Amino acid sequence: MDRRQFLTGVAVSALVAAMPATAFAATPPDQLVIAVNMGSMRGLDPHEANQIESAEILANLYDRLVYFEPDGLDAPLPQLAESWAVSDDGKTFTFTIRDGVTFHSGNPLTAEDAAWSLVRLVKLGLAPAIDLRQWGYNEENVESLIRATDARTLVVELPEAWSPSLILGSLASSACSIVDRAFLADKEQDGDLGRDYLQASDAGSGPFSLRTWRANDVMMADVFADYWNGAPAMRRVIMRHMPESSVQRLQLETGDLDVATRLSSTDLDVFEKAGTIDIQKVQGFGFYYVALNQKDEILSNPQVREAFRYLIDYEGLAATVMRYYGHLNQNVIPQGMPGYIEDAPYKLDIDRAKELLAQAGYADGFSKVLYIGPGTPYFEFAQSLQANAAAVGIQLDLQMGDYLSRFRERNFDIFMGRSGERLADPHSMLQSYATNIDNSDGAPLSGLLAWRSAWDVPAELQDLVFAAARETDPAARAELYTEVNRLYLESSPALISSFERFDVKAVSQRVSGYIGHPAWLTRWDKVTKS
Amino acid sequence: MSNPELTKTSMRDDDGVLGDAIRKIASSVAAILTTLFGLLLLTFIIGRMIPADPVLAILGDNFDQVAYDRVYAELGLDRPLYEQFFSYLQSILQFDFGQSNVTRNSVAADLARVFPATLELAILAILIGTVMGVPLGIISAVKRGTWVDHLGRIVALLGYSAPIFWLGTMVILIFYANLQIIPGGGRVDLYNDGLVVGPTGMLILDALLAGEWEVFWSAVHHITAPALLLGYAAMAYLSRMSRSFMLEQLNQEYILTARAKGLGERPIVWKHAFRNIRVQLLTVITLAFCGLLDGAVLIETVFGWPGLGQYLTAALFYADMNAVLGAVLLIGLISICINLLTDVVYRFVDPRTRS
Repeated sequence: MDRRQFLTGVAVSALVAAMPATAFAATPPDQLVIAVNMGSMRGLDPHEANQIESAEILANLYDRLVYFEPDGLDAPLPQLAESWAVSDDGKTFTFTIRDGVTFHSGNPLTAEDAAWSLVRLVKLGLAPAIDLRQWGYNEENVESLIRATDARTLVVELPEAWSPSLILGSLASSACSIVDRAFLADKEQDGDLGRDYLQASDAGSGPFSLRTWRANDVMMADVFADYWNGAPAMRRVIMRHMPESSVQRLQLETGDLDVATRLSSTDLDVFEKAGTIDIQKVQGFGFYYVALNQKDEILSNPQVREAFRYLIDYEGLAATVMRYYGHLNQNVIPQGMPGYIEDAPYKLDIDRAKELLAQAGYADGFSKVLYIGPGTPYFEFAQSLQANAAAVGIQLDLQMGDYLSRFRERNFDIFMGRSGERLADPHSMLQSYATNIDNSDGAPLSGLLAWRSAWDVPAELQDLVFAAARETDPAARAELYTEVNRLYLESSPALISSFERFDVKAVSQRVSGYIGHPAWLTRWDKVTKS
Repeated sequence: MSNPELTKTSMRDDDGVLGDAIRKIASSVAAILTTLFGLLLLTFIIGRMIPADPVLAILGDNFDQVAYDRVYAELGLDRPLYEQFFSYLQSILQFDFGQSNVTRNSVAADLARVFPATLELAILAILIGTVMGVPLGIISAVKRGTWVDHLGRIVALLGYSAPIFWLGTMVILIFYANLQIIPGGGRVDLYNDGLVVGPTGMLILDALLAGEWEVFWSAVHHITAPALLLGYAAMAYLSRMSRSFMLEQLNQEYILTARAKGLGERPIVWKHAFRNIRVQLLTVITLAFCGLLDGAVLIETVFGWPGLGQYLTAALFYADMNAVLGAVLLIGLISICINLLTDVVYRFVDPRTRS
């Protein structure tokens, strides 16, 4: 060994020895590390963000007037509002704001902040504004209808009467987060109500305050020690951008990660068999659907629509690709909600489908394009449907990609997708699946699946949906929804629901108290780690 | 003493030289600007042709028509295409790359954050690739047909043919999941994140400058695996190229002459043959480096490296055209700069280019 080799050897050994060994310790007991695909997140303004992943962050940076436990979606609980009263006509809600709550800035939280925040949501008029706009609020009327009468009293008047559960459900959503008005006042630029500032900062009163936000990289939130409901056990929560299922799985296995949210069925299978990681199936208030364009002469034939319902291999899919991500449901109200019925009258039946097609005059089948979203489980689902359709002579040409805009423009044959709502009420689904008050091409209803499918919803069904939304008596409402559900199924709808959507989280067994919230409001304040 | 005639002539000569230089620079600048303009135009057109709707990417799935129309107008999509392009060009000329729809930051600020991460990785990888690849190629050429040559070929073949994301996944599986000697991704441990910011954006360098040793080691630790893998891929390419360049030289007559003179093997290889392949090597190293800058996207994804590749991919997925155009422009600019720089270096290594 010459001198040069010796020196190199010494240098390399020194380098290796100096590397800190601490890098491999599991996550610290007072920090929670969550992996998500941050790709769809768009900044952190609660009145602008509209994605399930951002909503989880907002749920913890901000508080709302009321909240629901993940397993008590029919029982609103006080959060910033200590109590509330509803007028006899159901049109006026009076909230008493909790005393002694402060924002992260140190400013006291008052009824004025609450009123200003809800007005801001409507005035910004961005995607989440639908949470209030759908009840009749608009830029012109909102300021007179939502107002603080003193520092602790907030009055929310409705433009028209709706079931109180719908209103309280909306007010609990991340879109109705209460922001710090005084703090934002000097962050405003060109009358943007602080929108630019809030993209990467927070102005909330929630149990955590934002420390670092780098889009598509990392989010860090620190505990808010003065939280009105007691400081949480986690000192810091870290969210990391990790789009790959395999990477999430490895990090969860090695202990670098506490919660994984993007695991494939294969990876989930491994964890379930090993029993080392807790798997949470979180209900998603939406369905996997197949939409048949009703502007198409063939697809608008009721017997053809009915035939498609017999071409889905419900049992096969439920046992395989939809095992974690779906729950068999051929109706339009998710389980656990008023009006849910367990009946699943359809099964894969090629002969029955053939018969229906023959009755419709298409015994020899036809060819159509089936547009689907990228990746699993759409691909597997669509392949199965394609094979079954081929057996009755229907040739489906699979086109995979980002075809949502085609669907929105009604420029498609068949589209397969899934929906997800954050309002825990049958109405949020029904409004989209079973109402379409103007089926013309230019109607401003492109947010509704029924409109996109150009489906002229039977008047009887549609009227019943609106009547149920206005019904204030819970028992009567549940009965109406059962009827709606039955009618929907009978109408052989253009939107074929097959599975209820579920989102899956895999949680390390060191973590307790992390419970996925179906209304997108997963909180970190009750999380502890061993 | 002065001869007016002479002075006049020499001045005229000076003028000529200066004019030549100016003309040369002007034509270079014109070529660069044309290239960049073409690049922008092409990217812009392709960007508008992909069937992704940027408005949908911003809005998510639950929204009404009012919100759609509002964002549509905010993005300026209600204006004709040529108007959108020219207003974009106009802002580019004012060094304003617009705002990213995804990150909500200005594209310039985003690029300033993600590009150094890629640059850091690419520099390290090209160093590894060059230091290992060039000698390997030369030794393979010199010892042609021996076991060294065969070994070199196998090593290079693996680097060439194995998809890099697969290699990356295997490395993670073995060295992270099983042996636990490398970290699972990212640029630095979460607990060291944000401790060092700037001035270069290259974390290793910044940590060194700030004297933050824990951050430095964490950064070194994190970059090792991706840099080695990318370096390996570069090495495979460079070793093959240097082998063939060298073989070509070793078959020349001047080498035969040198051997006939009784010159030793070392001087023949390094003093004679190697000198003559330097220019070619420089060209392929430059190409490899440019490739690393925009081609590291797969490794960046596998190792969770928040660099330009990852940024560009996310931007493409969400039809974030300002970000795509900004990133493409940056890559184009850097490639041009590197090529210009290489031209300058040529002058030092190749006397023929000096005249």
